[in-house]
Amino acid sequence: MRGRPLLYTSYEADSAMLPSASKKVAMGVLLLVAFTLPLQLIPGLKWLGSNPWLVVLGQALIFAIGALGLNILTGLAGQVSLGHAFFMGMGAYTAAILGGETGRGVVGFGLPIWIWLPAAGIVAALIGILVAPTAVRVRGLYLAFVTIALVFVGDHIFRNLRIVSGGPGVGRTWPPLEVKLWKEEEPLLAVSSDGSWFGIDFSRQAKQYIFLLGLLIVFALFHKNIARTRLGRAFAAIRDRDIAAEIMGVDEVSYKALAFAVSSFFAGVSGALLASFFGSRTPESWDLVLSVTFIAIILIGGAGTTAGAILGAFFVVMVPRLVENFTRLLGELTGGEGVLAAIANFILKSGANDFGLIGTSVIGPGLSTFQVNLLLYGLLIVVFLIFEPLGLYGIWLRVRNYWKGWPFSY
Amino acid sequence: MTAVAERGETEARQTRAVTLPLKVRDWALRTPKAIAMREKDYGIWQEITWSDLWEQVTAAAHGLLALGVEPGDRVSIQSEDRPEWVILDVATVAVRGITVGLYPTNPESEVKYLLSDSGAKIHLAEDQEQADKVVPILSDLPNIRKIIHVEPRGFREWRGDDRFIFWDDFLEMGRKHREENPDMLEDLMSSAEADEVMTLVYTSGTTGPPKGAMLTNANFDFCLNTLVSATDRLPGNILPHPGDQILTYLPLCHVAERIFSTWTLAGYGSVLNFAESIDTVQQNLREIQPTLFFAVPRIWEKLHAGILIKGKDATFFKRIWFGAGLRLARTIGRRKVANGGEHTLGTRLLAAIGYPLVFRPLLERVGLRRVRWSASGAAPIAPEVLEFFIGMGVPLYELYGMTENSAVATYNPVGRMKLGTVGIPYPGTGLRIDPETGEVQTKHAGVFKGYWQLPDKTAATFTDDGWLKTGDVGEWVDGTHVKIVDRIKDIIITSGGKNVAPSEIENKLKTSPFIKEAMVIGDRRNYLTCLVGIELDTVGDWATRRGIPYTTYRDLSEKPEVLELVQKVIDETNQDFARVESIRKFRMIPKELDHEDGELTATQKLKRSAMEGMFADLIDDMYGSRS
Repeated sequence: MRGRPLLYTSYEADSAMLPSASKKVAMGVLLLVAFTLPLQLIPGLKWLGSNPWLVVLGQALIFAIGALGLNILTGLAGQVSLGHAFFMGMGAYTAAILGGETGRGVVGFGLPIWIWLPAAGIVAALIGILVAPTAVRVRGLYLAFVTIALVFVGDHIFRNLRIVSGGPGVGRTWPPLEVKLWKEEEPLLAVSSDGSWFGIDFSRQAKQYIFLLGLLIVFALFHKNIARTRLGRAFAAIRDRDIAAEIMGVDEVSYKALAFAVSSFFAGVSGALLASFFGSRTPESWDLVLSVTFIAIILIGGAGTTAGAILGAFFVVMVPRLVENFTRLLGELTGGEGVLAAIANFILKSGANDFGLIGTSVIGPGLSTFQVNLLLYGLLIVVFLIFEPLGLYGIWLRVRNYWKGWPFSY
Repeated sequence: MTAVAERGETEARQTRAVTLPLKVRDWALRTPKAIAMREKDYGIWQEITWSDLWEQVTAAAHGLLALGVEPGDRVSIQSEDRPEWVILDVATVAVRGITVGLYPTNPESEVKYLLSDSGAKIHLAEDQEQADKVVPILSDLPNIRKIIHVEPRGFREWRGDDRFIFWDDFLEMGRKHREENPDMLEDLMSSAEADEVMTLVYTSGTTGPPKGAMLTNANFDFCLNTLVSATDRLPGNILPHPGDQILTYLPLCHVAERIFSTWTLAGYGSVLNFAESIDTVQQNLREIQPTLFFAVPRIWEKLHAGILIKGKDATFFKRIWFGAGLRLARTIGRRKVANGGEHTLGTRLLAAIGYPLVFRPLLERVGLRRVRWSASGAAPIAPEVLEFFIGMGVPLYELYGMTENSAVATYNPVGRMKLGTVGIPYPGTGLRIDPETGEVQTKHAGVFKGYWQLPDKTAATFTDDGWLKTGDVGEWVDGTHVKIVDRIKDIIITSGGKNVAPSEIENKLKTSPFIKEAMVIGDRRNYLTCLVGIELDTVGDWATRRGIPYTTYRDLSEKPEVLELVQKVIDETNQDFARVESIRKFRMIPKELDHEDGELTATQKLKRSAMEGMFADLIDDMYGSRS
């Protein structure tokens, strides 16, 4: 009924994605802003629509898809997995074999995206199902160790299976993001080259950004629908107490297998997109650091929530770039005068004898921006786990609840 | 009858009366797809349309016929508020039977009295708990033919026992009967007479056993027309309509809730929303956000105390904000009350500031934001509580009426309300105050037919010239408004010969959020004393804040700090009254008062004589030793 947000007369309304009119409007505005970002229409956000930043955003979108996958497994079903990079690699190489070109010692069938992208997900999902029974036997920390093993198994295979991966340090090329019907020359939808869509000229980066944004929306809906229906409730029951879940009639073995399968599907697709987006990847890139990055994403963003996973992905991908820009800004400031210059000088380490935290030269002394980023991750994970287990989304919830409870506190 | 004339001379039969089922049927024919009721079940508000409702009513009515119910037979219902209550009520009147409502809290002994006194033929016991009260005494109730139960749970041991029938089976039986006798119900409904009894409403019985007041179809008709449509009863004179939401949560066997819920549903098509239970009322209020809201003073006091406590619990900044809001509400409330309940230019400005900042979100949280008219009745309420809600922007009016006059006596009209009075008599009704005794007396078509099988008692409630004696002492305020002083029987005459109305003092005491019960004593005594019962939630909260440990209700009551707290409340109250009316001593009631223990009536009113007997030692203690 109008104006009575708490009056639910059906379960559909109770579990609706956007339960109120204001939420619908907010989501509409958000999507509109997101899609028109490359057009650089909004005064304060023009910089985000520039090509270098669109590449960063594109990567964030792909990471978001992967993070949504891990969120199903870790956030919803409560199974800590450090093997996410392995599943991503599996998806990526499946895509490479099916969609890539033969040459330079590697094989590829040159099939179009509508085959290699789903296949990347399906192959990863099947491997996920194979792994799942371990999760029934071991829990928590032990499961994390078992899944670490996966990363090393994968690392070994990718390094040595040169006919697929191209070998360590060399890598291979991936099929570009291009929608073709079959193997024709002119793609149906050219995503990876400059050109015009609907009469508007877009750069390659802008097109990829829009394409990936569309994909993320599809996967986010998929994720949200899993989370708010029977499947999601079963996952949550297993997360909260697997024995209690079994007593309620949730079959632990099959639901854990399902969690692994769905999560790996997302990972496979995300891996394939990542490789395709950057064009080339070496076998070493599917390592433990990548897995940990995804854990960081969902912990910082907020485990178990759709918005949290997406928020976390953007945060984790964009922060290093912001730190980089910040360092560059500091570098420029040291040349100037006044308080700001002094502060900048204090933080930066320009030579061996200069006091400071961040080094400006490429090789030491001081921490490189990369190292600063790693430190920042660690710090953020610790801080979020201790103070805000629900992550960035939790902060938002807290802010919202403050106003929702007005003028009371509960 | 006026309704007959509307229907046209040709089809109308002279005896045809406006009845509850006919009204319901009209709605079902006019707006079959519209929502008539909602009940929260399995976590969501399940909706019942008018056509569904009417189908179930006819099925239930035929079910009653199949069970052999004849015109004039009594059907009793002991259940929490739920759609089945209303359905069976309407169905009973449709077959020209008489509905008898029992409180779900009535203990076995009272159930036995009520069922044997009314001679009910069919009894609805909601669940196993209610059935357990009837089964042991069934051998003493020869009239009972069948016990209908709505909840299947717990009836396993009686499966195959033909004294019981499950609600769904009962409806199924009715549907079969309906197929076989398609015209039977229609004939019965249209043959109902205006002065036929439709329901027995048992008085709460503060003194002596409950008496069954007989209300007729004519009373129903009069009540709908007079009570609701009186000028300025509702803001803007907008009558209740199908867009209005009502939360049904007070016992339906009480005349106030029956009129406010069932009769308003039938008469004006307003949607009934059944609260899950009395404990979830606050939650349900928030969900439903009713537009019309009726509550007894106890509920208003609880809402009031709840708001104050929650405000105190808020974080620092919110607390400051909330405090400012309260002060603003108090100012607005005082000025509005002085202006007959209407805004002045000044209060309108103040409200325009306060509404978006505090009142709107606060009322939304409490569930009163969409209320367009609300009322307090059935017991006296403290003016401070009324003023508080009026200041917040809740259009709240005090009403007065009783079972015996179909709750038609006085109302506070919009724009002409007077705080502390129960308002003006309804237009077209007779109300007078006996110059000698000060008793309020009424005379109109809503006055009941009499007490069930008690002609002597009936005769005693009427004056020689046919006016109904309400038993309340009242006085005129400014010649237009009526102020109720107290029940005649409760008036205290001290040994000094001074008349004191205890309820005035008691209500003043009860405005404190810490005090739940108060009983002023002093009849034929030298001075006034008081028995006090604390409100466990608020005093418990207060004690926790001060780090005072406690275990039980009794333990908390007897803490010296709590005694001090109560003493402070009493001192404050004493300042508002004359010296002879001040309370000299008080004692704490060592337990929470309860209906089942016989200290309260089903409507939570004090049974004074019972209390005096039960706590005689405490009372003697207050008057015994001179200190």
